[in-house]
Amino acid sequence: MRVIVAEDSVLLREGIARLLAEHGFEVVGKAGDAEDLIRKVGAHKPDVAVVDIRMPPDNTDDGLRAALQIREQQPGTGVLVLSAYVEEAYALELVADSASGVGYLLKDRVADVDGFVEAVRRVAEGGSALDPEVVSRLLGRTRRQDPLDELTPREREVLELMAEGRSNAAIAERMVVTERAVEKHVTSIFGKLNLSPTAVDHRRVLAVLAFLRS
Amino acid sequence: MTGLRRALWALAGAGLLLLAVQIDLIATSDFAPDRGLWIALDVVIGGGFVGVGLYAWSRRPDNRVGVLMVATGFAWFVGVFNLTDPALLFTLGLATANLFMAPAIHLLLAFPSGRLETRFDRRLVIGSYIAVTVGFLVPMFFLGSGDKHCTTCPDNLLLVEPSSGFVGAWFDGLCVIGIAALLAVLGRLIARWRRAAPPLRRIVTPLFVSGAVLMALLATLLFFDLAGIEVIESAYYVALIPFALVPYLFLAGLARARMLRAGAVGELVARVGGAIAGRELRDELARALNDPSLELAFWIPDSGAYVDPEGRSLELPESGRRATSDVTLDGRRVAVLIHDPLLLEEPELVEAVGAAAALALEKDRLEAELRAKIGELRESRARMVSFGLAERRRLERDLHDGAQQRLVSLALDLRLARDAARTDPERSEELLDGAAEELERALGELRELARGIHPAVLSDRGLDPAVEAIANRAPLAVEVVGRLGERVPEPVELAAYFVVSEALTNVAKYAHAAQATVRVERENGRVVVEVADDGVGGADPQRGTGLRGLADRIAALGGRLDVDSRPEGGTMVRARIPCE
Repeated sequence: MRVIVAEDSVLLREGIARLLAEHGFEVVGKAGDAEDLIRKVGAHKPDVAVVDIRMPPDNTDDGLRAALQIREQQPGTGVLVLSAYVEEAYALELVADSASGVGYLLKDRVADVDGFVEAVRRVAEGGSALDPEVVSRLLGRTRRQDPLDELTPREREVLELMAEGRSNAAIAERMVVTERAVEKHVTSIFGKLNLSPTAVDHRRVLAVLAFLRS
Repeated sequence: MTGLRRALWALAGAGLLLLAVQIDLIATSDFAPDRGLWIALDVVIGGGFVGVGLYAWSRRPDNRVGVLMVATGFAWFVGVFNLTDPALLFTLGLATANLFMAPAIHLLLAFPSGRLETRFDRRLVIGSYIAVTVGFLVPMFFLGSGDKHCTTCPDNLLLVEPSSGFVGAWFDGLCVIGIAALLAVLGRLIARWRRAAPPLRRIVTPLFVSGAVLMALLATLLFFDLAGIEVIESAYYVALIPFALVPYLFLAGLARARMLRAGAVGELVARVGGAIAGRELRDELARALNDPSLELAFWIPDSGAYVDPEGRSLELPESGRRATSDVTLDGRRVAVLIHDPLLLEEPELVEAVGAAAALALEKDRLEAELRAKIGELRESRARMVSFGLAERRRLERDLHDGAQQRLVSLALDLRLARDAARTDPERSEELLDGAAEELERALGELRELARGIHPAVLSDRGLDPAVEAIANRAPLAVEVVGRLGERVPEPVELAAYFVVSEALTNVAKYAHAAQATVRVERENGRVVVEVADDGVGGADPQRGTGLRGLADRIAALGGRLDVDSRPEGGTMVRARIPCE
C-alpha cells in the first residue's frame, strides 16, 4: 500500500513514516507543508495520505483544507487527518457526504501502533476511521429528547465502534462476541434510531454521523 | 387665563368692593372715632395685605405666604366693620375685631417658606386661631351696652344676658393667654432669626424685626390693660405701624432680591464669558446663588450615574437638608446643582444662573466624564493585569499538578521498566503499559489546557464553529441561534468566545438550568453575544472574577457586558462589542 505522510514536525514525520514502512506500507512521499502535500499526492497518486491538520504555510487548518481538496480531486486517495485537538466540526466537515476513504484521529493515537496502522489501512481501502473521542463527543451532546437514551449499554458500545468506522467482524472481535450477535445489535440500533440499514461500513458511518449531527 | 388667575382677580375685585363699601360706611358712621385715620388705615393695611398677598400668591401659588397675607387682609376688613352703623355688620366686626392677628402670626412664623417649621409653631398658630375666634365670640353673648367702648354704638345682636363680671373676667383671662402667645411668637422670631444662615437672614430680617416690634408692643398694651393702667388712645395706633409695614416690607424684599439677582446673574454671565471652569466656576455659581454650600454633579449617560467634577461617582442627596436643581442645555440634563433648600424659594434665580452657566457646565461635564472614564480605565486596567496574573498562576498550577506530575511518574516508570527488562520481563511490560496510559492522560490534560488558553478552532475557523463546539461540550442542552457568517477581528472573536464559554460554565455550575440559548449576531456595527438560561437566576457580575474579567476585556474593546438576572429565574448575559 502506498502512502504519503504530511507533517511539519520532522521528528513525527520520520517516526510515522518509519512505523508505516515497518508495517508493510510503501512510503512514496513525505511532505512538510500543505502545498508540498498537494503536489506529491498529485504526482504519486497514493492509496492514502496521513495529514497533520496544522501545517505551514498558515499554520492553522491548512492540512484539513488540503485534505478536503484531495478528497474532491482524487477520490481514489484516502485521507487520514491527524489533529492535536478533538474538533467534531472538523471531522464532520471532512466526512461531509461520504465517509469513504476518510479518517480523523487524535495525534496521540499514533502511539497505539496496531490501532493506528489498522486505521491507515482501513482508510486506504476506502473505509473510515473516526477517533473514539470524536464519536463520544458527538454521542455526548446533550439533546432535549434523546433517542440514544433508548439504546442498551451494549448497543451504545456497538454504535460507538460502528461510528469509528469498524466492521462487524472488528466489532465482534473487540467485544468478544459473535459477528451474528453484532448484526443483531446493529439491526436493533438502526430500528431505534429510525435509520435505514446498510451493509457497507462507510455508509453506515455516514448514516450514524448524519443522525448524530442533527 | 388660568383658573387660579381668574380666582385671584375675583378676590382682588371682592377686596376692592369691600374696601369701597367699608370706606363709605366708616365715613357715614355715627360713632366711629378718627374716621379719616381709620379710612386711611383700612386702605393701607387691608388693601396692602390683600394687594401684596394676591401678587405674591400669583407669583408663587405653591407658597402659602401669599394666601396668608390675603387672609390677613380680609380678616382685617371683617374686623373693621365694628366701626359701622348697621347692627349686623357692627356685631360681626365686634366679634372679629382681632381676627387678623391669627393669620398675621401664622404669616410671621411661616415666612418665608410658607411652612411652619416646628410642632410648637403649629400649636401656637392653632391656638391663635382659636383665641381670635372662640375667644372673642363667647363674650359676645354677655357683652351689654355698658361694656362696649362706646355708648353710641349699635346694638350687640348676639347679646343674650349682659354680664359685666363675666366679660371682665373673660377678657382678663384672654389677656393673659394673649400676652403669653405674643411673647412666644416673639421668642420664636428671635430664635429663628438667630439660627438663620446669612442668605436666609438677609431675606427675613425686615419682616421679623417689624413682627417682633408688633408682638412686643401688643404684649405691652395687653399688660397695661390687664394691670388697669390707662394708655392714651394713640398708643394703639402706634402699635399698628409695624403691622401695617408688613406687606410693604415684603414687597421691598422682593424688589431687592430681584435687583440682587439681576446683578448676580449679570456678573456671572460676564465672568463665565471669560471661560472659567472647574472649581472657579463652582465658586462663581455659589456666589451668584449666594449659597456657599453649593455642589455640582454631572450626569454621565454611559454609566448611568452622577459624578462630581473630579469624576468620582456620587449619589444625589435625598430631599430634605439639601435640594437639587437640574441645569439643562437643549433639553439635555447637563448638570445638577446641589444647594440649600432655601433656594427653592427662588426658582427664577436658580434657573437664570443655570442658564447663564449651562455652556460652561457642559464643558465641565465633558471633562468630568473624561475623568470618570479615565478612572474606570485605570481600575479596569489594574483588574486586567491582576486577572492576567491570576490566569498565569492557574495555568502554572494546572501544569504543575497535572501534566508535570504525570511526566515525572512516567519517567520513573520507564526507568523501572528498563531496570526490570532483563530480570523480570513481565514486570517490565506491566510498567511500560502503565507508562503508556499515564502518557495518554498527560496528553489529554495538555490538550484541554491548550484549548482553555486559546481554542484552535476559533483561530482556524472563526466564532461560529467555535461557539458550536462549546455548545456541544456543555453538560446541558444548548441551542445556538443566529450566526455571524463571517470572520471578525481576532480580539472580538476571542472576547465573544470567552463570553459564551464563561457564561455557559456559570450556567452549568450555578444556574440549575435545563437549557440555554446562545445567540451570536451582528447588529448595527456590533457583535452581540447573548447567553440566556432558564435557571435560578441571581447571577451577580460583581461576584467572582470570571464575568468581571470579561467585562473589563470587553470594555477594553469599547463594548459592554450586561448581566440581567432576575431572582425569579433565568439569567441573560449580553455582550455588545463594536466591530466595524
